[in-house]
Amino acid sequence: MIRGCSPAITRSRWFMAVFSFGLGLALLAVNWVGGQLVGGVISLAILTAFGLLISLLTGRSETVRGLTIGRDERFAQIDLRATAVAGMVVLGTMIVAWMVAIAQGRSGHPYDWLLAISGFTYLLALAFFRRIG
Amino acid sequence: MKNLVRTLRTERNLAQGQLADAMGVSRQTINSIENERYTPSLPLAMALARYFGVTVEEMFDDQGL
Repeated sequence: MIRGCSPAITRSRWFMAVFSFGLGLALLAVNWVGGQLVGGVISLAILTAFGLLISLLTGRSETVRGLTIGRDERFAQIDLRATAVAGMVVLGTMIVAWMVAIAQGRSGHPYDWLLAISGFTYLLALAFFRRIG
Repeated sequence: MKNLVRTLRTERNLAQGQLADAMGVSRQTINSIENERYTPSLPLAMALARYFGVTVEEMFDDQGL
């Protein structure tokens, strides 16, 4: 085992199943509060099935294993890149939606706030990691 | 980055999985290093070199970068 490197196995194989089920329960609760119980039950069923599927596939796929139990330094790097790409896509989508909203004569809410929070968070994170890095 | 990981591993009749277990990484990571698709971190490079009893400079060739 390498000293100073994180060990490959840090989480349970069933982490994703439990996490998805918990998220499903939260969705069920908010749907219930919103008077859409059927939608909540469907969300719970979909998320539970997804979590179980991911957990059962853990032994077969490196990608799935990286999402659940096995995250070594290479997968951590891949995860970081994938997160950055996903973040850029979300940001790009929000910018386009913001512009479309303004062009339609609307205020641009809530995209303006979301974009401001994204930019501010990025600057804070940049300063933080520069300080500790 | 060019390296001697595959050469040294096969000399010792080790499977990729065995080396991966010894290093605490996945078999795919060892495979990626051997195929020069992934450059390991300094701790992993040092661990590999220590494991095979060579120096990091002997194991990895950065001249091709």
